[in-house]
Amino acid sequence: MTKILVVADIKQNALKKGTLELISKARTLSENVAVVAIGNHIEGLIPELAQAGTDTQYLANDNKLEMFSASSYANCVIQAVKQYQAEQVWFAFSESSKATAPRVAARFKSACATEITDISIENGKVIVNRPAIAGKVYQKIQFNTSPAVVIVRAGAFDIDGEYSGTENIHNLEIPETDLRAVIQKIIQDAGEEIDLADADIVVSVGRGVKDQTGVDLVKALAKDLKAGFGSSRAMVDAGVMPHNSQVGQTGKIVSPTLYFAIGISGAIQHVAGMNGAKVIVAVNKDSEAPIFNVADYGIVGDLFEVVPILRDEIKKVRN
Amino acid sequence: MKILTTVKKVVDVELNIQVKEGKIVQDGLQYVMNAWDENAVEATVQLKENNGAETTLVCMGDSESTLMIRKAYAMGIENGIHVDDPLLESADSNGYAKVLKKIYENGDYDLIITGKQAQDTDNGHTGIMLAEYLDIPCVSNVVAIEVVDESQLAVSRIGDSGTEIINVNLPALLTVSDSINEPRLPALRGIMMAKKKAIETKTLADLELTLEQIDMQPVRTEILEYQAPSVRQAGKKFEGDAAEITAKVVQLLSNEAKVI
Ligand SMILES: Cc1cc2nc3c(=O)[nH]c(=O)nc-3n(C[C@H](O)[C@H](O)[C@H](O)COP(=O)(O)OP(=O)(O)OC[C@H]3O[C@@H](n4cnc5c(N)ncnc54)[C@H](O)[C@@H]3O)c2cc1C
Repeated sequence: MTKILVVADIKQNALKKGTLELISKARTLSENVAVVAIGNHIEGLIPELAQAGTDTQYLANDNKLEMFSASSYANCVIQAVKQYQAEQVWFAFSESSKATAPRVAARFKSACATEITDISIENGKVIVNRPAIAGKVYQKIQFNTSPAVVIVRAGAFDIDGEYSGTENIHNLEIPETDLRAVIQKIIQDAGEEIDLADADIVVSVGRGVKDQTGVDLVKALAKDLKAGFGSSRAMVDAGVMPHNSQVGQTGKIVSPTLYFAIGISGAIQHVAGMNGAKVIVAVNKDSEAPIFNVADYGIVGDLFEVVPILRDEIKKVRN
Repeated sequence: MKILTTVKKVVDVELNIQVKEGKIVQDGLQYVMNAWDENAVEATVQLKENNGAETTLVCMGDSESTLMIRKAYAMGIENGIHVDDPLLESADSNGYAKVLKKIYENGDYDLIITGKQAQDTDNGHTGIMLAEYLDIPCVSNVVAIEVVDESQLAVSRIGDSGTEIINVNLPALLTVSDSINEPRLPALRGIMMAKKKAIETKTLADLELTLEQIDMQPVRTEILEYQAPSVRQAGKKFEGDAAEITAKVVQLLSNEAKVI
């Protein structure tokens, strides 16, 4: 039975939801599911990883791994792949995964597929589905080499919680820092309380909100809904919203239950990041804006007028 | 500093794309320079202008790819290499990375700049794999490049928790984000000059590469088929009194969609 290694997605020493989704899905394909956890002060995550359905946990836990380094992280994953003899390596979608996964694939003379939405085994070969060309087509891809390295799109798989595993920890060697590319510092983005990828509701702002005042207005709606707070590229480029809030082809792909696009025109590059949402609501004063072609519910109007009403009405139905 | 910049010809994503019997319908498609590669070209030309650099561009693809090279010339790139070989048609990221490896080794470059991904595949593998095969440091998703000295750059990349500032030794490979710059529109004079400039064209045989050497026998991944995505239908659109239509939509979200 195929051996699957899941790379844990850890942020601020906490496990991201995507990791549990991956483990859950992996267990439906195989009984042999291991996980590799990389970071500093993360030993406390092992019980949760076992509980999620893994029977082997590879751990690289050291202050040298406090900050992300693609070469060090790849090195740890490579060790785990070798020890477990993994035939599949699954990453959850993140910037770190995008930087690490191709290195792992190259090292094993194998290949990588990004943003996959499905994975299966047919005639002994790993087959994946993934969007391409800004989501305008899907590709069905077959791996001819092993291990098949994949990055899974956020929300592609559900957590069913049917399986649980046991603790069986293997410590990995801590790689030396690659002195050819040394991280000097990280300018932290303003910490958002709710991670976009994990959020059940996402509220995003576009150029229509104009400035910080508009952002604050819409942020209040996001707060009411306990929603993730996203952005089009226009507002990131304007320096008003942080980089990690960008939804779209270059940013994050989100698939929440409910997505609000406030003052966003609906450019293909933005839509590629949110058209997996179950329900889309758009607020835009231009009735011809392309966002209305993908919205389930469209409100044609001035967002500065609509958003406060939206908040009030939502409070009403929630009570 | 000697810089090698890579560019890919990609289908224009703004156009309608049809899938028929597992294949993309080619009729009516138009091709453009990959948007992130335009950022790579701009970053290269800025390095040339600000710090002095010898600039070379490489583009793999059919004869139309020369248009991408001419565009890069018009933006300020000095030399162009076109790898044109029908054998590359079914290449994946590995195949491309292996060809680029050879180009790099033939040229004694200090820096490779690529776009962070290509608009047609949205993979973002080729550059990172190339660095791995060359065993040189690589920083992806770069939004700023500063020259420290002859042997070192200070670059910023967007990571998961913020902007990472990284000192990277040359030779190195950077993949750039679209946030790094605003690609210039070539001036008419540049466009005219670009038409006359020579392009070096190479086949795999010229590069002394076999299909085995570029991992295409067998190819590591193959696209079995393309599928059309399930298209979202436009839903209900409300115009009129803001208070009225907003209340209506909230009712629908609650009673019909049952999401709040
Ligand atoms: C290679 C590449 C990658 C890209 N990647 C991304 C990406 O990942 N994510 C992304 O978002 N974009 C991306 N883009 C950019 C994308 O093409 C668009 O430029 C961008 O999404 C536009 O942002 P916007 O909708 O906020 O702004 P605009 O297109 O300017 O739209 C603003 C909208 O607000 C409306 N509006 C204005 N005032 C009001 C008001 N008072 N009330 C209500 N509505 C109002 C307007 O009618 C308009 O529809 C990418 C582009 C390229 C070339």
